[in-house]
Amino acid sequence: MLTYILRRLALALSVIMATLVSAFLLFFAGPADPAQAMCPETKCNPARLEAITKSIGLDKPLIEQFLTYFKGLFVGRDFVYAGDTVHCGAPCLGFSFVTRRSVNEELFTRFPNTVVLALMAAVVFVTVGVTLGIIAAVRRGSATDRGLVGASQVLGSIPYYVLALLVALYPVILWNVLPQYSSISAGVGPYFMGMLAPALILGLVTASSYVRYTRNSMIETLSMDYIRTARSKGIHERTVLFKHGFRAAMSPIATILGLDIAALLTGTLITEQIFGVDGIGRRGLAALRSFDLPVIMGTVLIGAVVVVVMNLVVDIAYSFIDPRVRLS
Amino acid sequence: MPEPSAATLIEESEETSSTTAPEHQEVRTGRSPGQVAWARLKRDKVAIICFAIILFFLLVAIFAPFLVSLEAVDPITGAKADPSTVHTELVDFNGLPTVGASSAHWLGVEPRLGRDLFARWAYGARPSLIIGFVAAFASTVVGVALGLIGGYLGGASDKVISWVIDFFLSLPILLLVLAIIPIMQKRIAAGGDLTPEETSTIRFWVLIVILVVFGWMGLARLVRGEVKSLREREFVQAARAIGVPTRSILFREILPNLVGPIIVSASIAVPAYITYEATLSYLGAGLVEPTASWGRTIADAQNLFATYPLWLWPSVIGLSLLVLALSLLGDSIRDAFDPTSRR
Repeated sequence: MLTYILRRLALALSVIMATLVSAFLLFFAGPADPAQAMCPETKCNPARLEAITKSIGLDKPLIEQFLTYFKGLFVGRDFVYAGDTVHCGAPCLGFSFVTRRSVNEELFTRFPNTVVLALMAAVVFVTVGVTLGIIAAVRRGSATDRGLVGASQVLGSIPYYVLALLVALYPVILWNVLPQYSSISAGVGPYFMGMLAPALILGLVTASSYVRYTRNSMIETLSMDYIRTARSKGIHERTVLFKHGFRAAMSPIATILGLDIAALLTGTLITEQIFGVDGIGRRGLAALRSFDLPVIMGTVLIGAVVVVVMNLVVDIAYSFIDPRVRLS
Repeated sequence: MPEPSAATLIEESEETSSTTAPEHQEVRTGRSPGQVAWARLKRDKVAIICFAIILFFLLVAIFAPFLVSLEAVDPITGAKADPSTVHTELVDFNGLPTVGASSAHWLGVEPRLGRDLFARWAYGARPSLIIGFVAAFASTVVGVALGLIGGYLGGASDKVISWVIDFFLSLPILLLVLAIIPIMQKRIAAGGDLTPEETSTIRFWVLIVILVVFGWMGLARLVRGEVKSLREREFVQAARAIGVPTRSILFREILPNLVGPIIVSASIAVPAYITYEATLSYLGAGLVEPTASWGRTIADAQNLFATYPLWLWPSVIGLSLLVLALSLLGDSIRDAFDPTSRR
């Protein structure tokens, strides 16, 4: 068991390191000149461009830039800004070229919004998806089943951003059925009400695949011998379904759930952009427009760490649930 | 050699008994899983409707110039419509069109630029379809090749390939793709002054390459797993024992067994790539002007969605219907290849 966990841990670390190196090479060694981004083209003279290049350390050799960045991640580093020395504690993701604020501050203050959105969506897709999936499995072959499976296929097949955009445009902006997003400073009530529309559409679309997972898993479980035994013993049908069937059917679902929440934390970008939710995905997108490399790097790194850690947790948890995984 | 599984045999006998008279049963011959799937697909009504919709969009894309030439000559500009000519004389000083839908402009003209919206819509089907099919084909080739190598050779090459698969799967792909596309664009077009058309063409191919680079992993993992179990089967070991060269074992013995999963994965990849392209175009990292693209049109039209829905809706419907039909056809193909599925 321990070797298994260690092996997975080593893999996870190597993936994070590789992401770090390749993202750094891609962004900092790329042809895009970040100094140009900070220097508006109309009033940018070569001297000012050089001063900016120097001040953000772009004139140093690449390996030195990388080591500085790498060191900052683990022990923090100091920045000289307008004569003052600013300390940036570990894990230091650097300073935004454009807003001149620390990337940690830029991203970690926005991360809670992304988490709230992802968790609210998760509540929607788990409850709706699993409930409808069980209903479809129990009434297998009926019109209800066909309707649910068909509707989930249609909902899951239309490009997600088109659905989200239509929800944002019509019920939210035009008809005012659901409130628009407002930041937490405007009050907790309006904040959660504003999250409702993005969480609902994200949750419902994700639920469409859960309906099918749950249905298939439940159908498979209900065809097992022990379910037939339970029924033949005269146990109440509801007990058979929920105590004997549901529990066994849920273990594969639990695995997918962990991965999907990780995917949501990095994948709410489209939802955030369309509904104007001030999360890290939207911040990363804004950084892309201005070639604000430290912020882009930070967003990519946070995303990779979240996915890798969730993968690790799911794998280890699953090896406790299902001993066969460890042996292979 | 593809061996029909027990489930396929049962399926086959059921089909024969339901479709043919009993006296023909003795002359029944074995059918490959592909033939069985094809027979099931032909009876699937959803698949046929989806196929018709896809065919419709293919025809629109191929015959876009002809369809656009059917529009009447515009009385104001005195010219036939085309997807790229800007007609500022058709919009007022606020940028709103002064002409509505007419025989000259079936869907009206674009606010601000006055380009013909029907022409933009018909030509907009082209990049979606080309990107979807080309990227799906290329990523299938890459995925199958790497999966075959990793699964069959094992050892160090397998370790490297599995690690690369894990690595790519744990990247925040959407964000990375959004970041890489403009960087690659700059690298290719560095220095030179390019016309918008050239920029647009470069972007188109950059997009396909990036989609393939970040899209091959799922199939590679699937093929690798299948190959790992197939190479231990008797028919492969027998082939190895009599000295069949590795290349023949891979392509003659192992690959035919994987035709089902590969076709299924490729057919599901096409709508996924079309969606990806449209999403990237919407977020501003996909296709650029002057290429007509549904994703770009949706992004541009959302600001005037309430006053000028004719700008937004044709692209929304075109994109949604095409992707929906392709996905449902993919689902039908998967069900047709899956001997245990009964809808």
